[in-house]
Amino acid sequence: MKSLARNVIYQGKNFFRDSGQVFWTILFPIILASFFNLAFSGLTYETIEDINVGVSEDNPLKFMLEDVEEFNIYEITDESYKDKLINEEIHVYVDEDMELVVSQSGISQSIIKEVVEQIKQAIALGRPIEGTEFQVSYIKQKDQESNSIIVIYYALIAMVSAYALFIGIETVSLMQANLSNVGIRLNVTPLKKESFLVSGTIVAFILNIISNIILLLFLKYVLKLDLFTNFTYSFILIIIGNLFGVALGVFLGASSKKDNNTKTAFGIAITLFFSFLSGLNGPGMKSLIDEKAPIIGRINPFSIITNNLYRINLIGNTETFPEGIVVLGIYIVILLCGSYFFLRRRTYDSI
Amino acid sequence: MLVVNAKNVVKRYEEKIALDHFNLEVKEGEVLGLLGPNGCGKTTAINSILSLLNYDKGEIEVFGEKMTSNSYDIKRQIGLVPQEVSVFENLTVRENIDYFAGLYIDDSKQRKQYVDEAIEFVDLKDYEKFYPRKLSGGLKRRLNIAAGIVHKPKLIILDEPTVAVDAQSRNFILEGILELNKQGSTIIYTTHYLEEVEQIASRIVIMDNGKDIVSGTTKELKEMITTSEKIVVSFLEIKDEVVSGLSNITNVIEATRVNGDFIIMFENGANNLTNLLEFIKKHGLVYTKLYSQQPTLNDVFLELTGKELRD
Repeated sequence: MKSLARNVIYQGKNFFRDSGQVFWTILFPIILASFFNLAFSGLTYETIEDINVGVSEDNPLKFMLEDVEEFNIYEITDESYKDKLINEEIHVYVDEDMELVVSQSGISQSIIKEVVEQIKQAIALGRPIEGTEFQVSYIKQKDQESNSIIVIYYALIAMVSAYALFIGIETVSLMQANLSNVGIRLNVTPLKKESFLVSGTIVAFILNIISNIILLLFLKYVLKLDLFTNFTYSFILIIIGNLFGVALGVFLGASSKKDNNTKTAFGIAITLFFSFLSGLNGPGMKSLIDEKAPIIGRINPFSIITNNLYRINLIGNTETFPEGIVVLGIYIVILLCGSYFFLRRRTYDSI
Repeated sequence: MLVVNAKNVVKRYEEKIALDHFNLEVKEGEVLGLLGPNGCGKTTAINSILSLLNYDKGEIEVFGEKMTSNSYDIKRQIGLVPQEVSVFENLTVRENIDYFAGLYIDDSKQRKQYVDEAIEFVDLKDYEKFYPRKLSGGLKRRLNIAAGIVHKPKLIILDEPTVAVDAQSRNFILEGILELNKQGSTIIYTTHYLEEVEQIASRIVIMDNGKDIVSGTTKELKEMITTSEKIVVSFLEIKDEVVSGLSNITNVIEATRVNGDFIIMFENGANNLTNLLEFIKKHGLVYTKLYSQQPTLNDVFLELTGKELRD
């Protein structure tokens, strides 16, 4: 334990004093967030107004939806609902099969979708629906201003939570004789590789959590963005994101004999690409993915974090949270097992 | 006792044979110089001995036991000074030495003492708080040495520790190695600089093309070759027919002309210089330069391999 602590301290010093690491993990996310704020703060903030819902004649959901204060229910008996959607007289149309018809994506559509899903689940489980308070009440209680641009910040947080991968890559490089000079020396000492690796991953996790906290404080107190209404679940997601980042970094470091710069570039490309799919460049991509290829939203690790942060904090829905944690946990286990396979009893044909 | 015993080691890098049935015995307490030109396999030999590299054939024992990557007990007794400076760029001099010391020494008081002694040994006391990037090449090499010897290992392997180092630091390093040997460590020292092995090695192994060609003390190696003396002379003027007569002087093996100087190789004989002076007098020659050299390791290498040791 003493030896582990020593390794953590020294590796921590080594990485913390690396100006490149400091820039990418702390400064770069702050710069990006500032840029987003500059670019998008001029856009109109949507306050959640009442949602106009069209329902088919004799729709079984009508009486339930009427109970929701924020919904204005309009019974529409003919095909005119299509024109009303296009003209934005109604935000959504619910047909007799409880299917939603929308002409665009937005916060109102997301809310009604969540409520209808809750109703469907209650029916499927045989739970009484009458008198049920659906999870829309957060809107009134928290007086939350809604901004669809907010998804960008959630995507940024998701991306940055995985930035522990950089130290993961570096740790694996340091311990390999064919990739670093320090590795040559370390491989001739009585230090066990697992020990060095474990301490490196601890350092990666701690340093990245610190950088995440700095970003969150910046977002809240400098940019005045109130992103979290549920800190517990949000923080669990961020921690899991960090663990995923560490595992990804270790895997990238262990699975390839390329130099550090190549692996780091690959890591950046992966995080940017999957963050892009989760909404880093705007809510449009996220909505498109949700609509056209929802499976990606369920397996893309960055989408899992982004979507759950969005749902938990904006809609108050934690239903997909357990699934998200399990999927991320599986990724972590697979990546770590893969890393162990590559590193186990590694010997070198050339250095 | 043999500290290192490498037998018949073969190592290939695809088509190229880096070690070709290489043998090496290192006795306890000696300073063994492993000498050879660049690319002859010195570093490959060292890395194979340390189990850093896989090898294709042969046996390697260190301290009487088979050496593997998991031989942690053996590794505790070894200190390596690699060819490249191998320290953490973002730790200070003291932190680097302390970190590596901590991999061998658990007791904090003993470790502090050893670290202080190592810093003193390499004379880096004034640079304790410096980061490696702020050090000159020579000082970085000293740090590299300190990190490798701080735990006072029984076997120290230094792989070309004076490359790109100024003369003062080089001298400092060589004297330090002799001191380490006096303190009880067995040393393996690889280099392509003849003068270094002649200065510090108690025994020399000469390598070429992955093979160990010959081994012995400096004196033994020089006695192995036919050339026992080399005389360099240059003349004010000498006729061609007289030049050919140089080769006919008693005991002369070969006389070659290099940039105006004549380099005359003599076999073992008591009167080589006298014979040459008689020749000069007989032909009325006037010499502008004349001196005698004992054969060098380069001459040994040249005779054994047909090529110069220097690049």
